[in-house]
Amino acid sequence: MSDHLDTSFDAVRRRLAAAFSDSGPIGTTRPLEIQSHGVVDAPAVKPAEVIEGSKQVARVVDDASEPRFAAFLDGSQLTLNARWVGVIPVVHGTVSAGVRVRRERRLTTWGAPIVRHALYAPMSLLDAASQQRLRDARIDVVDTLEKREPDSEHPFALQELAYKAVLSDRERAESELAVRWVEKENADLFVDGGISGNAKVAKAANVIGVIKSHQTLYADADGLGVITALKNGERSSVFKVEAGRRTPVVSWYLRIADRSGRDPFWGLVRVEVAVGATGAALTQRADDVSRWIFAERLPLALPDARWDKMAYGIRDAEEYLRAIQ
Amino acid sequence: MGRVVATEKKPNTAHEFHFWTALDSPVGIGTIVRVDGELPVNGQLPRVYGIVVEGFSYTDLLSPIHDVLGHDGAPGTAAQAATLRAEIRLYTAHVLRQIPEEPLQPVPMGTVALASDEDIAVALRMDTYLKGGTNTGIPAGVYRAGAMEAPIYLDAEFLLGPEAAHLNISGVSGLATKTSAVEWLLASIFTHFPEDKGSVAAVCFNVKGPDLLFLDKPGHLDDADKAIYEKLGVPAKPFERVQYFAPYTAAGFSINTLRSNEQLSHNLSPLTWGLNEVMQFAEVLLNRDDVDAKADAFIDFLQERVINREFKDPVLSTAHRVRSFAELEAFFRDLLRGMEDRSSGEHWRTHHVATIRKVRNRLSNISTRCAGLVTDEGTVSDLPFGSFADRTVYVVDVASVEEDAQDLIFARVVSKLREHLERRDLGVSHVIVFVDELNKYAPAEGPDTYVRKMLLDISERGRYLGLVLFSAQQFRSQVHRRVPGNSGTSLYGRMDMDELATPGYAVLSPATRTKLATLEKGQLMVRHPHFSQPIFVRFPRPAVMRGRDGAELFPPATDLAIDVAVMRSLRQLDPAVSLDWVKRTIAGHDESDVLRARNETLRTKPDNVRSFFESRFRRVVPAEPLSAPAAVPIRALKGDDPYGF
Repeated sequence: MSDHLDTSFDAVRRRLAAAFSDSGPIGTTRPLEIQSHGVVDAPAVKPAEVIEGSKQVARVVDDASEPRFAAFLDGSQLTLNARWVGVIPVVHGTVSAGVRVRRERRLTTWGAPIVRHALYAPMSLLDAASQQRLRDARIDVVDTLEKREPDSEHPFALQELAYKAVLSDRERAESELAVRWVEKENADLFVDGGISGNAKVAKAANVIGVIKSHQTLYADADGLGVITALKNGERSSVFKVEAGRRTPVVSWYLRIADRSGRDPFWGLVRVEVAVGATGAALTQRADDVSRWIFAERLPLALPDARWDKMAYGIRDAEEYLRAIQ
Repeated sequence: MGRVVATEKKPNTAHEFHFWTALDSPVGIGTIVRVDGELPVNGQLPRVYGIVVEGFSYTDLLSPIHDVLGHDGAPGTAAQAATLRAEIRLYTAHVLRQIPEEPLQPVPMGTVALASDEDIAVALRMDTYLKGGTNTGIPAGVYRAGAMEAPIYLDAEFLLGPEAAHLNISGVSGLATKTSAVEWLLASIFTHFPEDKGSVAAVCFNVKGPDLLFLDKPGHLDDADKAIYEKLGVPAKPFERVQYFAPYTAAGFSINTLRSNEQLSHNLSPLTWGLNEVMQFAEVLLNRDDVDAKADAFIDFLQERVINREFKDPVLSTAHRVRSFAELEAFFRDLLRGMEDRSSGEHWRTHHVATIRKVRNRLSNISTRCAGLVTDEGTVSDLPFGSFADRTVYVVDVASVEEDAQDLIFARVVSKLREHLERRDLGVSHVIVFVDELNKYAPAEGPDTYVRKMLLDISERGRYLGLVLFSAQQFRSQVHRRVPGNSGTSLYGRMDMDELATPGYAVLSPATRTKLATLEKGQLMVRHPHFSQPIFVRFPRPAVMRGRDGAELFPPATDLAIDVAVMRSLRQLDPAVSLDWVKRTIAGHDESDVLRARNETLRTKPDNVRSFFESRFRRVVPAEPLSAPAAVPIRALKGDDPYGF
């Protein structure tokens, strides 16, 4: 693909409109992320092995916050339906990832951010002419059925497949940048989300993942009670997270905002770090990292609605990506 | 340094654009910037010059309350934040010039840089009058941005005519801005006004204190001032040629000025006028509400038929030739007596006796009201109309003179300048008239005085003659709008906030107004026909002694005895004049005779001053004491003749 070729949503949609001269329905400018068709993981509770002590307990973290993170990594995606070919959705996806490094308390961009555009379509369901027209649109085309059969040929199901493919590309972009960081830098990197998706990142001692969403809760019934009852400044015991092909990491829950009068997950984040320390060293590591995260509570990430869980550096990275994608 | 930005809500136009910069960028209100467009128009990359008129700074906060919440209401905890919020410096600039000038388009997106020296010359269109060979640039000061310092020039053809002319300066009093700026500009004009454009002199009216009384004495300059003088090619020296004029005090002994120290008398001359000089401007001194049409008609009659010519009439006991106030008074006395003696009724040549008495009263009163300036005997000492010298300043000190006399001096001097310029025989082709306290002489409201009409006339038509008005006032809003309105160039020093709130300043952005209200000494905002937007410049201290310093260094002479006053006056013509000689010469004569003799001597400037002065007095025959007649001895009587036979 030419570097200079405009692959933005509007440009690609115009090219598709020209290629599909049958006056077929064009797409929508409403992102799939905010449509009901956007998929999320199903809520789940998964028991996890506690490796700090024998059971989940609330642990008070020393309040002496200590700014330590040198940079913040976040990714972003925007998924829009570019065109309908009959009832087959052709989705335009934009994924981006960037690292914002902190120098003298101000954030600037580290290295080159990643911004990618692609079309996502179930190619095998399209006729040959339509496939050719997509390939001629001068943008990468991702076949959402390349390695699988569709669960359903319902257009929304096909749209979900595209959405998941964009999500997957976004994670890949984030991992790519995180790997670059690990290879070049020794300072600590704050990653928005989990780190287990890439082995090199998951094993790096200077990468800390902070997860804001709690679709999956890692606790048994007793542990769940402890976690949701954590007070501001408390953390859970450390547990191990192992999931399928993902690299094992150690994790704990941390309350970084007073939840008085709020829901149980207000100000609750889950932290992921590489497996390594054990015993007292593990406790020390969990306490240290927790203090670093506490230090990111100021300034508040307002006006973002997730300000109770979000570090300002991540909000800054999101704003940055929104500006460049 | 920055980038142009535009949004739908805040778009760029052909005359205004927005840009952001790094937080530590040296941009401020008044900074001149250059925009380099990235898309060619008609094959040429557009280049836009602008001046910053407004600045904004904000963070990504939606509401201030979010910051309060973040710090639990304790501002001190802000320092604990690991990260500083994203922050922007957003500026609004007004377009100074676009290249190419056609088609005139909205300012394009592009990079923003601080304007260089060359950029500023182009942005302010100075390139059109700074060309070699036709350079008509008059340095006005330097423009500073960051470490850069660029000279700013005014176009002589738009400052002294004929294209446009006149200069008006506003600013609060007490910051030595208005007078200093004019003194600096005069020095700059005298240095840079092109020879081929003619000659130039200045007439400055000193209306308060000792402001303009030491223009020929050096003042204190610091290194920064000297650097500006050097950069702008103006010698950091006082004016070489200055002549001072002031009326006498009411007593008539000494000249009524704070520059009366004997060491400075070499270029100080008296300003005195007689009947002829005053009658032409009687209107200035006569209250129009008081002098009705009948009185006006009689005054016209006097001017046309009586003054300066032999006048006879049956009512008069003798022919009269009226050349002075004293002779005018004699004429009136004879006329009124003749009307009474002849019982010729209440009219003389259609003029009612009451009108005659009224005019006599008002005219006779002039020499009293303007004592020191107007003399009964008609002695004249005036500015050198007809022999004005190039690059010379003529200061007329009216600071200690009564208001009526000030008006008279102002009206007559300016009218004479105009007359001579019209005839092209003044001696110079351009005259700058500097008038401070313009709100007093050309107020926005109040009666339409002669002086105001004259100022309006100069401001509207003077440029064709080379008569240029440099005026100054504290409050521009209190001056008749046509005077500053006709000034091609306007300067603004630090302004009062109340003044800035008046409609005349509505065209300035709030930030520019705020800057004007906080300007430092030595800074000015300049509007000039070539500059499409006002710009800020810095000028050096004038290289002349401040009035206050001069008054301390050269304290004014105390009230002088008549003999000392005469000695000092005559010594200007003959340094050998001694006090003893003066005392001997004037002994036994009236003060009025002594002053008349002195004035005639000063006016005539004879080769032999002493003999001329002595010749002005009638011989006084010394009184001889009466001696007792010699006693005649009584004849001796014969001894035996008691009867003497």
